[in-house]
Amino acid sequence: MVKIKIDEDACVGCGSCVEDCPNDVYEMDEAKNKTRIIKEEDCMACLSCHEICPAQAMEHQDIHVAKRLYIDRKVNNTINKII
Amino acid sequence: MEMELKEIRGTFKPELIPPECGGGIDDYEEALHVLMKFVGSMANALEQVSGRGANAIVYQAGKRMGHDAGKLMEKTDNLENAMQELSQILGKEFYFEMWKPSSQESFTIERSGETEVKLLFRDCVVRQTLRRTGLPQKGPLCYLLYGYMVGAVEEVMDIKGKLDINHIGPNACLKTLTINWGGK
Ligand code: SF4
Ligand code: SF4
Repeated sequence: MVKIKIDEDACVGCGSCVEDCPNDVYEMDEAKNKTRIIKEEDCMACLSCHEICPAQAMEHQDIHVAKRLYIDRKVNNTINKII
Repeated sequence: MEMELKEIRGTFKPELIPPECGGGIDDYEEALHVLMKFVGSMANALEQVSGRGANAIVYQAGKRMGHDAGKLMEKTDNLENAMQELSQILGKEFYFEMWKPSSQESFTIERSGETEVKLLFRDCVVRQTLRRTGLPQKGPLCYLLYGYMVGAVEEVMDIKGKLDINHIGPNACLKTLTINWGGK
């Protein structure tokens, strides 16, 4: 099963992931003003939340990582050497 | 700018293609990227010229392709077998599986003579092509795939099918396949 981790220090509480997730995996913790995972079992690893989160605060573990053959391997290798 | 070009030289006989033509991984990568850009731009241009009508035309073209591909498979009225045949037709570049929310007991929902099943596309060349070209995950190229799938399912199951898109993401897309058992 997908395991999601939220970096609470990074989360700015914008609620975009709550709005965007099609399967209502998140809800806002109003007291903390952070997102909270409530239905991890319904996550289908579409990673829309990754694309919308301005803080890159979430991590999905043990998921199928889709092929991305559009990536330029030469550019990618160069970036990997720099980072 | 000078381009580094490694020329392939070999002997060519009729009906015998020299293995050197196959190229290496870099050649495949370059060719794939060129194709992705071409196909992406073509789909974009088609939409700009024909508007949303482009989706309908391409959907029909995809459906015809799907029917042709489905003719090579065994007929079945079992949904699971049909999904297996469909994944063979689409190949591993369109890896999908049936999906359901945790609150739902079975993968299928029966509704007034129709069966619904959700398909989660994990890998998709169309998605990769659109992202390579910087285009949103919608439009004619997606419709070509929808048509292809519906055509193939209609052919192997001898039913009438419909495909709706539920969600698109950078790592997976969710679709609902509706099967009308009333036949074609
Ligand atoms: S990956 Fe998709 S389904 Fe999972 S939490 Fe993010 S948006 Fe929701
Ligand atoms: S989108 Fe990111 S920053 Fe916004 S609430 Fe969700 S985790 Fe926090």
